Amino acid sequence: MQVAAQTPEIATSSSAGYRWARDAVGVTLILAAGLAGYWLFPDNLALLTRVIAVALLVLSIDLVTGYGGVATLGQAALFGAGAYAAGIACVNGVTEPLTLILIGAVAGAVAGLFMGTIMLRAHGLAQLVLSIAIVQLFHEAANKASAYTGGSDGLAGLMVSPLFGAFEFDLWGRTAYLFGLALLIVVFASLRFIVSSPFGMLCRGIKEDPVRIRAMGAFVFPVLLKMFVISGAVAGIGGALAAISTQVVGLDSVSFELSANALVMLVLGGLGTLYGALVGTVIFMGFEHVVSAINPFHWMTMVGALLIGVVLAAPGGLSGLLDRMSGISRRRKEKRT
Amino acid sequence: MKVAKKILGVAVGALLLGSVPAMAETIKVGIIGPFSGPFALQGKNFQAGVEAYMALNGKSVKGHEIEVIYRDLPAANPAQSRALAQELIVKDKVQYLGGVYFTPDAMAITPLLKQANTPLVIFNAATSAIMTQSPFVVRTSFTTAQTTTPLGKIAVERGVKKVISAVSDYGPGVDAENAFKKAFEAAGGKVVEAVRMPLNTTDFSPIMQRVRDSGAEAVFAFLPSGPTTLGFVKAYNETGLKQAGIKFFAPGDLTQESDLPALGDAALGLLTTFHYSVSHDSPENKRFVEAATKAIGSVEQLSFPAVGAFDGMHVIYKMIEATDGKQDAQKAVDAVKGMAWTSPRGPVSIDAETRHITENIYLREVAKGPDGKTYNKEIQTFPNQKDPGLATQ
Repeated sequence: MQVAAQTPEIATSSSAGYRWARDAVGVTLILAAGLAGYWLFPDNLALLTRVIAVALLVLSIDLVTGYGGVATLGQAALFGAGAYAAGIACVNGVTEPLTLILIGAVAGAVAGLFMGTIMLRAHGLAQLVLSIAIVQLFHEAANKASAYTGGSDGLAGLMVSPLFGAFEFDLWGRTAYLFGLALLIVVFASLRFIVSSPFGMLCRGIKEDPVRIRAMGAFVFPVLLKMFVISGAVAGIGGALAAISTQVVGLDSVSFELSANALVMLVLGGLGTLYGALVGTVIFMGFEHVVSAINPFHWMTMVGALLIGVVLAAPGGLSGLLDRMSGISRRRKEKRT
Repeated sequence: MKVAKKILGVAVGALLLGSVPAMAETIKVGIIGPFSGPFALQGKNFQAGVEAYMALNGKSVKGHEIEVIYRDLPAANPAQSRALAQELIVKDKVQYLGGVYFTPDAMAITPLLKQANTPLVIFNAATSAIMTQSPFVVRTSFTTAQTTTPLGKIAVERGVKKVISAVSDYGPGVDAENAFKKAFEAAGGKVVEAVRMPLNTTDFSPIMQRVRDSGAEAVFAFLPSGPTTLGFVKAYNETGLKQAGIKFFAPGDLTQESDLPALGDAALGLLTTFHYSVSHDSPENKRFVEAATKAIGSVEQLSFPAVGAFDGMHVIYKMIEATDGKQDAQKAVDAVKGMAWTSPRGPVSIDAETRHITENIYLREVAKGPDGKTYNKEIQTFPNQKDPGLATQ
């Protein structure tokens, strides 16, 4: 389904070497921004960790929506699958953080396989409706299975053991943040690699014109399903990170609201660039945090105003706007400004 | 675009640093609650309770100025709850945490308390298990089991032997169902059928049919307050169950004062049990209602979270008095264990073992006042009820 007004042109002209250099710079900048956050806001690390967990969710939406052209309002189902899998494993004695992340990734991938199998049977609006139905089903399942998930009271009592046996997940959240940042970097670098591989190109081709891709002799369904599984793993890692750093898993992690918010963040940042997902998450959550602290009673109005402003001023998302402003957009054909 | 992200970082930083550090003797109290979104009214009640207490008892204790910082948590979201609590502790340097409407949010804060050396006074979140998560939690609200249990006896006393229970299918609903069943069957009654309704049910006539078919003499109900309760009560009236003499029992969440205007005459005669009614007749409550009404704007918006917050502030003031402004969570919590006082809701005390409030539970009937408005009329008192969900009953 075509969701963006603009369609980023596939950068066929850039050489592989140039792309590598650009990605290296990008990853370094994320690392630098992350470390800067660590030094600048040592008192807000729990918030920043939450931003990273949600950023992973937004990245996972970018994979299926920005690259595969499948709009979804149910991505939190995959995030929640990861969070609950890690949480349940942790309560039952698996407390090593890296193992928990792995469990989250696997659970997310399995949920992604399930969700993709169902969603890819439909197209367009029906697909979107299916995604909502699936996240609601996951939500209700988590609510019903309260013996395992704690239901609406949340799954509490996650005692995660120290990272590498040395670094505790404590009040100040330094371990959780740096652990999250490292995860984000690894995931982001892998995703850059994946989206610029022939497989990633094929996905973008499908987004542009599935009929043509089919005519070329490629199978659309398995390619998109593969993307769904990757996306599920990424969302699952985000969920597991949220579970580890919060020590509680709540029903909100499989909610429609979280899915919708994450999609808003993606649109805010810009679809189909991966960078946009990060920018959107940081700006949305940062802004939300600042205005809700200034006025805890009427801050929603401000967030609404920001969203309207961005959509009107920069229909391609903030990263698109920044691209244009910094002149990187030379090679892009803007259909409209 | 990375450059822009950094610029944004600096901008956000400037905003965050903009909050001026307060003077040394100021003691900060962080209140987390739903101040926006669908539960904003409950958050407003928190705020009204806090402001009413400070208006009546001054803004300082032993010369220590008290500053309250509100943080908004619109819905149950443990990750955000933890982030907010962490920030209040680490950045804003609050010595006390209070508020918290939803159980998962409280669960997310409890692991921080020991290391932060900060007590948490819960104004609402009502699941028994929270208290066992940390020794630094004190609660001034109620639990569903606490308010529901007296109903079992009441039903039997009123000659009801067979009851059908109908609850919304979510945590508190299931808690209420279990608590009622336990109390009612202990008193000699029998729950003939237990119906769990999906949370978003709007058409209750099939449920009413099941009530009729079950042959029960009364229905026990628990639904989230608001439109669902309204729909349920209307269906109860319109399908003729009320006329047929089938009684209606429920915990007081269903007829909280802020919902009564919407329920109107349909609610007349409903029997509910709860720990607080705005109409409670005592000088303490009169003072409280007056001060809280001033804070919230209109008496019709006032309901139980305000009294939880009012008593929560009382507990926090006593903690500050005991520690004389020093941050010592253990000493603060020890100081309020066993403490008894007269709250707007009646005599209360903090149970020394469980740190949960011991309070009177009242049987109320929705009645029409002289001004034509409906209110909860207290008709029977069950003194000093503890939480049956916690071990030391």
